[in-house]
Amino acid sequence: MTLSLVFSLLALALVRGTPILLASLGGVLSERAGIVNIALEGEMTAGAFAAALLSYFTRDPWLGAIGGVAVGASVGFALGFAATRWRVDQIVAGMGINLICTGGAAFGLIFVFNQAGVTPQVPAINQALWPMVFLGILLAAALQWTLARTPIGLRLRACGENPHAARAAGIDPLAVRLYASAIAGGLAGLGGVFLALGELNLYSDGMIAGRGFIALAAVIFGRWTPLGAAGVALIFGLLEALQFALQGTIAWLPSDFLQALPYIAALLALLGASGRYRPPAAEGKPYP
Amino acid sequence: MNGESAKALLLGTLGVVAAMSLAMLASHVSPILGFNAFFYGAFGGKQQIAETLASTTALLFPALGIAIAFRAGLFNIGAEGQLLIGGLFAGWLGTRIHVPPAFAIAAIFLAGAIGGGLWGAIAGWLKAARDANEVISTLMLNFIAASLALYLVTGPLRAPDAAGPELSLLPHAYWLPTLLPQTRATIALPIALIAASALRFVLDNTWFGYRLRAAGEAPEAARRAGISLSRVALWAMAWSGALAGMGGAALVAGELHRFNTQLSPGYGFIAIAVALVGGLEPLAICVAALAFGALESGGLALQAVAGVPKDAIHVIEGLLVFALAARRYLGARGATAR
Repeated sequence: MTLSLVFSLLALALVRGTPILLASLGGVLSERAGIVNIALEGEMTAGAFAAALLSYFTRDPWLGAIGGVAVGASVGFALGFAATRWRVDQIVAGMGINLICTGGAAFGLIFVFNQAGVTPQVPAINQALWPMVFLGILLAAALQWTLARTPIGLRLRACGENPHAARAAGIDPLAVRLYASAIAGGLAGLGGVFLALGELNLYSDGMIAGRGFIALAAVIFGRWTPLGAAGVALIFGLLEALQFALQGTIAWLPSDFLQALPYIAALLALLGASGRYRPPAAEGKPYP
Repeated sequence: MNGESAKALLLGTLGVVAAMSLAMLASHVSPILGFNAFFYGAFGGKQQIAETLASTTALLFPALGIAIAFRAGLFNIGAEGQLLIGGLFAGWLGTRIHVPPAFAIAAIFLAGAIGGGLWGAIAGWLKAARDANEVISTLMLNFIAASLALYLVTGPLRAPDAAGPELSLLPHAYWLPTLLPQTRATIALPIALIAASALRFVLDNTWFGYRLRAAGEAPEAARRAGISLSRVALWAMAWSGALAGMGGAALVAGELHRFNTQLSPGYGFIAIAVALVGGLEPLAICVAALAFGALESGGLALQAVAGVPKDAIHVIEGLLVFALAARRYLGARGATAR
């Protein structure tokens, strides 16, 4: 394999990995604060759809991008609100949100554009693709530092480990969880924006294709740390890129196997990683 | 039914009606016309009722399976993949055996249960042996099942007579008998109802059911009482997958009459909502499945007649699940799910 091929493979890996990375950072943030985030998939969907919709009507892709992040954050806020104020079962609520977002986007497509499956082409920010890739990596580093080294990070982690102790120390766990969930939604929404307006210039049904769930796996394999999750997300990106690179090069290897490669890798990782992953102690538990 | 759940049922129904009216108004359809189309599509005649019952059946099997796992405290989100692999086993066996139809149909359902059960048991084994998070493993297994099925039907198992990625047609004698002639409503529905009653009995009255519920409701206490949590996880996931797999077999033998990769338009995911709305109680799940079956077939009519996109139904189902999640802790009396 020539050097240029290796570089193009790595470049593709970064591009494919970034939306997963962004969503997984959101996952780390909300789970460290104590909220299980099954809804990443729905938040990415909502972000991607809203971004394409706004970009279509305003003809301004940047407005679309901001809107996508805002809508993702609103969905995260809704999950956070339900989790803190209504004390919902977060996994169940997250699954409900996923249904609402994917169904809502499909409904919206027909309702707004009068066509099923895909929006028309919209103004995109393809030139910002690489800046967004580096923004993602920078965000991972910044979040790592914030969580590990700053008072804000300590407070957030306290809410995920022991909200009662956090309360005793004068922190409001409900507020911290609510905001963490909203920011997480914004990050997942940004992942959706990256797909809809960065890589492509449209929204189509099923375009998120399970990336929100892959991001969830990245959170766990990354041991709930931003840099860990980001690294795993990029490995998933690499596996996706390998699919394209290996397609048709090895005759006996069926292409369906290549397609399943990231998922098989995740399963094998689960197999090899018994007991080494300890989630935040109070994750998923309603407070008080 | 106590006052609590009656109130919830009323509120839920009102919420669904309100949400559907909004969706209709948003699509510039008068709610009167819309509900007319909806109810006609769900219950308007023999064909419509049969469609509702067919959707009910397709949702009921995986929903019962999901209830088993959830009652054991395991978030099995992998019913879709388990259903697909069950259907694959059933569709493969159905084209290979030559026995009297009654035996063949029994064998097809058994094959579906074994296929789905094995697929579920992978996640159960990962949980039992390696303490692997079942949300992740079942999700990954969904994707892997789709790829595996596609590979098998386009490659090694591809039917010589097939137009697309699918297995051969089952012999006509092995097609499930219909309840209403010339419709999609088959004897799979009574089989599912029997499965629901059996499940209720097992959960409430057997040692296995007791251990399963104990592991789900108070894992630490169950462990101290000598219940092996890993064994419960393995068997709960296997049985959960087996029921979803029977759903795949029912679709293969009752509707498509062959296996293809488009077997399920997401029944395994909507069944999660069905199981939760049914409060994880087998008999209530039957009622929930009927309601969701009506939503599905009525939603199709709503789209065809009134032009309201069918996806509105999924938003409504999501809202129901979301509201239900809140109720679990608001009520805290355990009227529905634990």
